[in-house]
Amino acid sequence: MRRFAIATLLGASLALMAAPAQAAWHSYVSHKLGFSFEAPGDVKVSTGTYRGQLAGPHESIVFRSVDDNIEYKVTVMSFMQAQADGATILGEREYNFQNEKKVLMDTFGRVEPGKDAVYGRKITVELPKNGGRTLGAFYFVNGKMIVLEATILPANGDYASPDPGRFIDSIVFQLQRTQQGATELKLPE
Amino acid sequence: MRSRFSAWIIAAATGAVLMASAGPASAAWKGYISHPLGFAFAAPGDLKIEKGKYQGAVAGTHDTTVWRSVDDGIQYSVTVIDTTAEANKAATLLGEAEYIFQDQKKLLMDAFGRVDGKFGRKLTIDLPNKGGRTTAAFWFVNGRIVELQAHVPADGDVDTPEMGRFVDSITFFPVRAADDALELPMPK
Repeated sequence: MRRFAIATLLGASLALMAAPAQAAWHSYVSHKLGFSFEAPGDVKVSTGTYRGQLAGPHESIVFRSVDDNIEYKVTVMSFMQAQADGATILGEREYNFQNEKKVLMDTFGRVEPGKDAVYGRKITVELPKNGGRTLGAFYFVNGKMIVLEATILPANGDYASPDPGRFIDSIVFQLQRTQQGATELKLPE
Repeated sequence: MRSRFSAWIIAAATGAVLMASAGPASAAWKGYISHPLGFAFAAPGDLKIEKGKYQGAVAGTHDTTVWRSVDDGIQYSVTVIDTTAEANKAATLLGEAEYIFQDQKKLLMDAFGRVDGKFGRKLTIDLPNKGGRTTAAFWFVNGRIVELQAHVPADGDVDTPEMGRFVDSITFFPVRAADDALELPMPK
């Protein structure tokens, strides 16, 4: 009986060691951009460009981390001069996200309760050529389009992982709800 | 032989005429346009105008203008919600209106709408308690929510293409409106 217990413990320890190392999740906040979120691993910031047929070309700020072969990405684009066109700009981005891909889910996204609610959409697509699966969430708040994307890469393969959902649903716009100790996101110079 | 064939033709033609006259009378579709509001659409029957209220947790309370017609048992309506004072929240206001429309109803379709450089959404719901089926399209135009709805009662033809014809008739480019489109009357 004792031998069996020791063998079981050893087996369990080995199984844990063999499992891929997962980074801890941290909370990140940008008071300047007005949102916070949670993600695993080290979030790096970079700049990019987004171009929509209706939105036109826009610079973007991208916060990105990769953990356990899942890529987590938050993209922020400013449309301060076109806020009244926010519904169409957001709709175009959502449309482009799912265009020519297999849509697995397309549903309402709502963050914050009552009069502070922000409505957007959450969409899951399968990427072409076995490129993995991406869950995206799309919001337009205070003149900024905020897009969260979590892509489960084929190397991970666990397309039922709850981590993309945890990431997408961690977005907060009422910053008093941000977790204490959240790391302030550094913005590009 | 020839007389028997002629009799058959006459009987068939008479039957067809009788069937056509017995069917529900469908009114002609007309084009409507509102230059100040920035859209045009087509609907059958005579449009009636009325005022209303819209309430959303985010949007608050707003006046609405509704143009309504009924034809062949189908109710058509265009509702304009004036949110110009909060147009900077366009995406959320539109999302809230769509959410309210389908909340606690059986959602049959929820798809992208794309017309003349605008993105919106098209939804079809079954109303509770055998209340029939409604297809709607939602747009945000010049600071206003524009909502087209076509409703068929439960005992009607819920698969009629007329609902789709109505919601898909919207255009935001005046040049695409019907040549003989009537200017939409505004409430006094």
